[in-house]
Amino acid sequence: MENAWIIPLFPLLSFVILLLFGRRLKEASAFVGILLTLASFVYSMLVLFERFSAPTFKTEAVWLSIGDIQLTSGFEVNQLNALMLFIVSLVSFLVHIYSKGYMSGDERFSVFYAYLGLFTFAMLGLVLSPNLLQTYIFWELVGVGSFLLIGFYFYKEEAKAAAKKAFIMTRIGDAGLFIGMILLFWQVGSFEYDEIFRAVDKGTISTGMITLTAILIFAGAAGKSGQFPLHTWLPDAMEGPTPVSALIHAATMVAAGVYLVAALFPLFTASDTALMTVALVGAFTAIFAASIGLVQTDIKRVLAYSTVSQLGYMMLALGSAGYAAGIFHLMTHAFFKALLFLAAGSVIHAVHTQDIEKMGGLWKKMRLTGPLFLIGTLAISGVPLFSGFFSKDEILIAAWAHGHTVLFWLAVVSAFFTSFYMFRLFFMVFSGEPRTDISKVHEPPSAMTLPMVVLGILAVVSGYVNTPWFGTFLGDWLTEGNEALGNGHMEGSAWIMLVATVVSLLGIFLAWLIYGKKTLSRDWLAGSSSMTYSILYNKYYIDEFYQLSFVKIAKGISNFLRIFEAFFVEGIVKGIAGAVQGLGKTGAKQQDGQVQTYGAVAFFGLAVLIVIFALTGGYLL
Amino acid sequence: MNIYVLSFLVFSPLLGILILAFVPKTRESVIKLVGFLATLPALIISLIIYFQYRAGTDLSEYAEHVGWIKFGNFEDPNLFTIDYELGLDGFSLVMIVLTAVLSALAAIASIHIKKEWKGYYMLFLLLEIGMLGVFAAENLILFFIFFEITLISTFFLVGKWGYFEKEKAAFSFLIYNGLGSAVLLIVIMVLFSRTGTSNIAELTELLSEDGRETLLPISESARFGLLAALLIAFGVKLPIFPLHSWMLRVHVEAPPPVVMLHSGILLKIGAFGLIRFGMGIFPEQFSKSAGLIAVLGIVNLLYGAFLAFVQKDFKMVLAYSSISHMGIVLIGLGALNEAGIQGAVFQVVSHGLISALLFFLVGVFYERVQTSFIPNLGGMAKGMPISSGFLLAGAMASLGLPGMSGFVSEFMAFLGLFEARPILAAVGAFSIIMTAVYLLRAVLGITFGRTERNYAGVMDLRAVEFVPVLALMGLIVLIGVYPAVLAEPLQTTLETILLGIGG
Repeated sequence: MENAWIIPLFPLLSFVILLLFGRRLKEASAFVGILLTLASFVYSMLVLFERFSAPTFKTEAVWLSIGDIQLTSGFEVNQLNALMLFIVSLVSFLVHIYSKGYMSGDERFSVFYAYLGLFTFAMLGLVLSPNLLQTYIFWELVGVGSFLLIGFYFYKEEAKAAAKKAFIMTRIGDAGLFIGMILLFWQVGSFEYDEIFRAVDKGTISTGMITLTAILIFAGAAGKSGQFPLHTWLPDAMEGPTPVSALIHAATMVAAGVYLVAALFPLFTASDTALMTVALVGAFTAIFAASIGLVQTDIKRVLAYSTVSQLGYMMLALGSAGYAAGIFHLMTHAFFKALLFLAAGSVIHAVHTQDIEKMGGLWKKMRLTGPLFLIGTLAISGVPLFSGFFSKDEILIAAWAHGHTVLFWLAVVSAFFTSFYMFRLFFMVFSGEPRTDISKVHEPPSAMTLPMVVLGILAVVSGYVNTPWFGTFLGDWLTEGNEALGNGHMEGSAWIMLVATVVSLLGIFLAWLIYGKKTLSRDWLAGSSSMTYSILYNKYYIDEFYQLSFVKIAKGISNFLRIFEAFFVEGIVKGIAGAVQGLGKTGAKQQDGQVQTYGAVAFFGLAVLIVIFALTGGYLL
Repeated sequence: MNIYVLSFLVFSPLLGILILAFVPKTRESVIKLVGFLATLPALIISLIIYFQYRAGTDLSEYAEHVGWIKFGNFEDPNLFTIDYELGLDGFSLVMIVLTAVLSALAAIASIHIKKEWKGYYMLFLLLEIGMLGVFAAENLILFFIFFEITLISTFFLVGKWGYFEKEKAAFSFLIYNGLGSAVLLIVIMVLFSRTGTSNIAELTELLSEDGRETLLPISESARFGLLAALLIAFGVKLPIFPLHSWMLRVHVEAPPPVVMLHSGILLKIGAFGLIRFGMGIFPEQFSKSAGLIAVLGIVNLLYGAFLAFVQKDFKMVLAYSSISHMGIVLIGLGALNEAGIQGAVFQVVSHGLISALLFFLVGVFYERVQTSFIPNLGGMAKGMPISSGFLLAGAMASLGLPGMSGFVSEFMAFLGLFEARPILAAVGAFSIIMTAVYLLRAVLGITFGRTERNYAGVMDLRAVEFVPVLALMGLIVLIGVYPAVLAEPLQTTLETILLGIGG
């Protein structure tokens, strides 16, 4: 554990090597990336196992001193960090392998792997940070990795717009994080998490200040994790290559917001308002994004909205003081959502379209991808015995136990939506008759299927580390030795589990009726209320609203200032230039050769000077 | 032992000027080589001094003092003398290293100059002497002389080797800066006549200690007046809104290597002067005006950012971006605490490196496609992936990406301002978003998207062009990752300044 700092360095090395020699290595770049992330993964696993028995390890050194203030950098391996290391390095490793097949033939193959390395480095660095400033540093770097990969197909206008949007939307949240972080610093006198918690504990910070800083920091988390109202970049981010969507926009980076709130959990629990904000935003995002997901027709966008929605679930969990539940869902979601994206990538790879209206009947052709996609769908829908079932259950229990009745029911409805749209997706892609020629469709190379199989297994079994039946190992371990994090598991009545199961099965049944068996017309939703449909299809017109409000306002200010600049500031310039010129001309006119005038002026000037000296007694100032 | 090292450092480019005088003006490559080599002695010596200082050598060893002009005074023969005095402290050493580095790199960037190389390089080297002298000067009059040298050489460099409206830009530059230096000269003369000295250290001591009598008393209001005059004189240089319009023209019309130096060093003389003289000589008045300075900073910050957002010429985007970034210097100074002032000084260095990098790349692109007009560009990453990559990296540095120098300075300046004036700082933090917006709009507009026209055949970075790019990027990342390289040499200077303002 003392050497955990080396974990992020492997991918950084990969980034540097590929940047320098990538052009010569060509497709061999993949091996560099895969081997180095494998090293990270193995090391992370060792650290995780060591952390099961050993206490938290933390070390720091001075990074920058400002007068008496010493800013440090270092790393910390606590339970949360160790678990995140494991998740991130595992998914990154699998995605590295998968990309070897998926990106094969791309002329910027090595650049892709270089960017993956940069991202993985930043993400691993993020989850090892022992203080808020270092977290912020890696937080931004992660954003750049995401930006570069979204814009990987830079020649596409959509990719350019999406990359820009992702960077700016998250930057808006980050400004909040930046302000919150600095305000907190002047309250606590340190960026260290430990110091912050100590100050919160002692009550040296006023409640108002805690609420303010917590909410500002949450703004950063909301930006990264695609929470309403900063969610709009995440679906657009699907312009990036699909492995990237799996790694960054499903499993790891978007979960960083959840991680941040979890890492600062004692700060949030110290303010009911802050906690309530987190819960509200989470629950609202969950149902809001799920409702949009109901009608989208792009396979990756459906998954993207489901990611937004699931992240909302995690926030709801944290906001309901369900620390362990939130982290647990973060973990299971990382596995099953990465699986879904990779399987979707496999489908896209085979049929060369992302439009689910043009797919269908792929089950027979894709004997491996189909069942794996089904596993992922079952897991996310919360069908019993799959991982998502256990983690979603924990969240519902937490919300109920914390007294958020309304939010609880919102979450239940979103669970229903989720299973409906996920199975809508599944049936439209895999069942029924093919809508286009699929004779050439085949399974992808083993480099792509292997990671999917691993994730498929994890999507099933990872739930069993924390179940009401076989023990709540994960939750107990996560909260061990820290009162502030609450209980690892909350006892909930069996009816909650029953409700969750029923709504999820109901959703599946309805999806089956419409898209599987086709007993109900497909226009059932669209036809009966086309108004609702178009609102949902257009994502509640949020993008349009932003375009008309914030973008317009910013442009308006800019244009106003441009006019101001042209008339006022340039006016000053003209004035000064004119004055200089005028003075020169006036002066020149006096040079008329009349010696009498010269003498008179000189005499007059002398007189004025003498008068001034006489009046001020020799002082001019 | 180190006698005259500093003089040699400052005047070493003169050697190049002398050699160039004997080179026929048609020998292009010889002239360019000599021009570049002549920047090296200053670079090497300044780096040696830097490392010796880091190793523990006292900077006062480099001080030089030679009697020069005496006006004579009956009471004390030391009064009313102007001596030739050079010296260093941490801050000026850092600035000299920066100047030497950027001059060498700008000399490389000057390979794109198309005509009259001989005159160009002679003026270029003269400009370097001026810049080095400004930072090494120990008294105000010497400072002023070097300051004027930079003015004149820049005027000719812009006016002769610039783009289409070069003459207009050069005159605009001269009038504004001429007025600025006239105001500066008034301040210098008033101080000289009142105290009998123009030595900066002596002035700082005389004026900051209330108990000591100067030759002729300077009233409180007079001090405010002098500070205001300094603010105007250096405000033109920095530039502070609304005194900035000349600098936009220079940025657009001047040849890229000159803009590298102009934006990298010459603008920083404004910041240097404000810190050294404004804060150093009038500490009390400065702290009373801190609020105003912070407000000016916020205005610069947002005004520049919003205007950069709607510019079509990439050079204009960068010019407004410079205005915005100089706002960070002002807010750091306005914060009046360690974090803020250190942030301001960091920003001076960091922005020097970043803007030099960006303007160099503008030159590289212009060389290939003869335009810097964003709507005409697009998809350049296809034909010039490496240049585009560095352009993006430069933009990231400029928008304050952690791991690069821009972040450290921006962070410290805001850290300082949040302690002193949290609400003002929160307003300013809005610029964090706007900076990302305008830079990405501009840079992605150039490099991403469909390839406009047929730029596919253009050449990427040439071997010689890699030198400035890699050197600047390396320094930007070095400061970003390991800020102590900059923080440690500055420490004593900052402590002295803070002692003065009682912070």
